[in-house]
Amino acid sequence: MLFSLEEVIETISAVGVETFDIRTITCGINLMSCADSDVHKCAAKVYEKVVRVAHDVVPVARKLEKKYGIPIVNKRISVTPVSFLAGAFTEPTAVPIAEALDKAAKELGIDYVAGFSALIPKGITRGDQILLNSIADALCCTDRVCSSVNIGSSQAGINMDGVYRMAEIVKEAAERSRDRNGLACAKLVVFCNAVEDNPFIAGSFMGPGEAEAILNVGISGPGVVRAALQNSTHLNFGELSEVIKKISFKITRTGELVGREASRMLGIPFGIIDLSLAPTPAEGDSISDILELMGLEKTGCHGTTAALAMLNDAVKKGGIMAATYAGGLSGAFIPVTEDAGMCRAIEAGALNIQKLEAMTCVCSVGLDMVAIPGDTPVEVIAGIIADEAAIGMINHKTTACRLIPVPGMQAGDVVDFGGLLGKGPIMEVGRHSPALFVRRGGRIPAPVHSMKN
Amino acid sequence: MNRKKEQVVITVLGANKPGILAGITRAIADSNVNVEDVSQKIMQDLFALMMMTDFSTANCSFEDFQSRMQAVSEQLRVKVFIQHEDVFRFQHRL
Repeated sequence: MLFSLEEVIETISAVGVETFDIRTITCGINLMSCADSDVHKCAAKVYEKVVRVAHDVVPVARKLEKKYGIPIVNKRISVTPVSFLAGAFTEPTAVPIAEALDKAAKELGIDYVAGFSALIPKGITRGDQILLNSIADALCCTDRVCSSVNIGSSQAGINMDGVYRMAEIVKEAAERSRDRNGLACAKLVVFCNAVEDNPFIAGSFMGPGEAEAILNVGISGPGVVRAALQNSTHLNFGELSEVIKKISFKITRTGELVGREASRMLGIPFGIIDLSLAPTPAEGDSISDILELMGLEKTGCHGTTAALAMLNDAVKKGGIMAATYAGGLSGAFIPVTEDAGMCRAIEAGALNIQKLEAMTCVCSVGLDMVAIPGDTPVEVIAGIIADEAAIGMINHKTTACRLIPVPGMQAGDVVDFGGLLGKGPIMEVGRHSPALFVRRGGRIPAPVHSMKN
Repeated sequence: MNRKKEQVVITVLGANKPGILAGITRAIADSNVNVEDVSQKIMQDLFALMMMTDFSTANCSFEDFQSRMQAVSEQLRVKVFIQHEDVFRFQHRL
């Protein structure tokens, strides 16, 4: 027999018991051919192109789920940053493009479509300005459109005008979706060093360096890693790393198979596999649980950053060998409300926003799905974004903020966003004001790339 | 003409009782799927069966075969998994 019964049962129980799945197949679509000075004509072209190119994404994903017995949880689309198109619009709005994307996603059965984005690490163009002014409207009048803005990079520094503007937009989006606890902010990411081939929502967009269309795959699997570490108390760090590498190899290999086959069936080139461990609110599918199995009493205690660094590195080492092309964000995600273990750690008083910030220095991707008090001032939000961006800029990594200032809620309250977005406690933020600092205007200069201490 | 093989792994798990193997193989034969290898174990009281089959001779689509086998597994009160062999090859073989 080609495989042993034990091997087959291991694969089956990874799905059935340990919640392994392919988190997303994301089809990237270049929209530059849709350019038009009339936003409505452009929107019609966008709708037509997205529906045409991504027509078979959902049926193919469903076929593959059956063929391999592995769930593909999300089928998504990413597009060229819409600000690229917006520069030509006579009418200063990009909202019709968001509506066209939303309509296309609904027609195709796509979960989310992302790329209502702008790249402003160094400066803001007219197209960027139109897009920024449209974000709050776009997120509130659509269900499936996600937005991201890159405000800094290791090469350009941090555009502090962009940071402050994004803090205003975060506040505005939260207020405008007050009836849904500020849910619009769960679809809005502020990046430093954004990547062009990220398959994960909400920060996905189709970079200008990519092909006409591309297929990227994001895997999941915290539950499988957790199961592998269940009886690991006797292992030293080298042995622990080996266990994680092996399981990461297997998880990634499945993503490679699904990506190759989907690419063949759709006739769209296979881009990359994102080697990220992505948690869900499901019990056991938690990064925090893995950290605690590694020996921490509670996530957030001293030692957490070291544990996360090791986990993240071992996942990459195992995954890289399994993937022909690795890319995207490739690191363990720690989205707070989406990870039940993280929420427990906060409620136990073990994890706070300062420790979370430290953890983002060694893993993907940033302060993700962090619910903060609704009355947090714009200046404080700008300060949080600037801190995260600085970590990314100096360390040559992607960092991001997906902050949700939940209207009417205070630290300690619990907010429920539903579904994969999960629920969790409102985190306390610093009380002192960085207003003078964040309002200076201009750009934090790019850092030196030598003398690394 | 040489038909290209399409290898599919069928796994059956459930509480041990008489007739599981018979019921499953009958349903496979009805679909004209060829069994190439069988491995079966009783682990404590769990019936575990794995079959390597060639699906290229089947008289129905892959989805229809899965539905047929699903119906049989419900009658027998066992779990049946029907997966293309590639998923195991990719995970367990370099």
